[in-house]
Amino acid sequence: MSVEPTVQPTSIKKRRKTLLGFVPEESIFYNLHPATRLIIFIVSGFAPIWIDLPEINIAIIILLLVLFTVGGVDLSRLKIYLPMMVTAAIFMFGIRFLFPAYESGYIPLQVGPFTVYYQPIFWAFISYWRIFALVFASIFYFSTNRESDTLIALRAFRTPFAATYLMALSLRSAGMFMEDFSIIRQAEQARGLDTGALSLRDRIKLYTMYTVPLFSIAIMRATEVSAALFARGYTISGRPPGKKKRAVYILTLHSFKWLDWFVSIFFILLFVVIVYLQTVHGTFRIEHSPMNHFFYNLVTR
Amino acid sequence: MLAVSVKNLSWKYEHATEFALKGANLDIEEGSFVAIVGPNEAGKTTLVSAIQGLIPHSFNGVIRGYVEVFGEKVAEKSSLELAQEVGLVFSDPEAQFTAMTVQEELVFGMENIGLTVEEIDERLHWAVEMADIADLLDKSPFDISGGQKQRVNIAAILAMRPPILILDEPTSMLDPLGKDFIFDVLTTLREQVAMTLIVVEHNIEQIAPLADQIALVYDGQVVKVAEPREFFADSGFLSERHVEPPEVTALAHWLREQRYYNGPLPLKMDEALSISRDLLKREVK
Repeated sequence: MSVEPTVQPTSIKKRRKTLLGFVPEESIFYNLHPATRLIIFIVSGFAPIWIDLPEINIAIIILLLVLFTVGGVDLSRLKIYLPMMVTAAIFMFGIRFLFPAYESGYIPLQVGPFTVYYQPIFWAFISYWRIFALVFASIFYFSTNRESDTLIALRAFRTPFAATYLMALSLRSAGMFMEDFSIIRQAEQARGLDTGALSLRDRIKLYTMYTVPLFSIAIMRATEVSAALFARGYTISGRPPGKKKRAVYILTLHSFKWLDWFVSIFFILLFVVIVYLQTVHGTFRIEHSPMNHFFYNLVTR
Repeated sequence: MLAVSVKNLSWKYEHATEFALKGANLDIEEGSFVAIVGPNEAGKTTLVSAIQGLIPHSFNGVIRGYVEVFGEKVAEKSSLELAQEVGLVFSDPEAQFTAMTVQEELVFGMENIGLTVEEIDERLHWAVEMADIADLLDKSPFDISGGQKQRVNIAAILAMRPPILILDEPTSMLDPLGKDFIFDVLTTLREQVAMTLIVVEHNIEQIAPLADQIALVYDGQVVKVAEPREFFADSGFLSERHVEPPEVTALAHWLREQRYYNGPLPLKMDEALSISRDLLKREVK
């Protein structure tokens, strides 16, 4: 009898678990200092706020998708955000259909039984892509950075230790809260509770009831963490005895190289230029949008 | 020199109706390995919390008596002083994590007590080797097994190099493999580190051969402290207080009752095997 050899997949992308999801085991972005990565996130995340032109925000999203691929992030994981994109579109455009908000000069459009106006609809379109450029920048950041990278970056920016520590504990408690919630739900299912068969009213009641065990566990955990902090000699100021400066060991493992300086300065300058061009010259205003001109000509023809 | 001295210590937690400790007394010599055993709710965790200083510093309640560490009262020391003198590893491995990676978890305590980067680096490598966790450094503490989590906690406290290390039921939440790993670490510590080790443990089979002394806590008091063989000599006294000796020791007790054997009580399997061999040889003759 012959045994067929097991076929091994040729390329399995290894991933590391984080509290909020997964990041690739290896990524080109890990060559950058965590502080540089945070700067890229801040710029790519906040720049769309100053940009009205949907063309640029769509281009930012496409660029981020390319970076996802370059960074070794599994693009198929983005599918989970699809319902959010659809829901946001329904809400943002639905509001313009239900509450058209007419002002003089608006161009009316008849869509079935609804009379809507071109300008508010196009503004919804602008806002939609602006929000999603921002959301994609966040997804990109958290898909290529662990929580600890954020903390290292904040410590590199000389953020007070107590503040970064509070943030770490908050992130940790969020993960544990979700885990406790999942355990409580599994325990209920194990005892025969079928939440799918419950009415909306009963579901609301059920979710309200979850708060009791969840808060009890949270209080218990807070006591345990506080005891662990005491045992490790932590003081609220984070300062060691004798008013010495705290040695942040983890920062010594990451050096800020010339590439970091280059990338950081480039992104900071890019941000300054975008803000300057928009606030002083209005470069990214809606009236400069080719897409706007195209649709405007289409509806006014 | 006495590392720990508990004198007539009574403690009642805020809102509790009864005292958890009722006049407990215990002296622990510097450099010794003391196992603390006893049934649930006997006051073991309260006792070690008082030695570490969590009582009265972090918990509210009524205290009588006192605890001294190296001749100084715990109640009069600061949390930083206590953290440098007494390390405490809790039973729930997850409840102790306060950082995002194992490495950060290990250096956190050392940063708190004011070590330099060079000292942290040297101690980090030492603690990692002692607990055998080199491959875990870059992982999230939530992404490793229970046994690994507890080894990380031990390493984190060990790295602070307190002269007294307390482990409060370190294996109670672990699977058999995880428990074995922890006992391996305890064996290494006993052999290689000059520390006073205090271990609260239910697994008498594995802790008894390691301990220099065993203390029995029952109903808020330390009712017996003795070297392991002497501790298990009166099995009736222990049984009444819900503590069973290791199986090999219980077997030797039975052999004594049957007048087959009258030698020292074994604590380990190899000792029991040696006794069995001698008895068999005698029977054959």
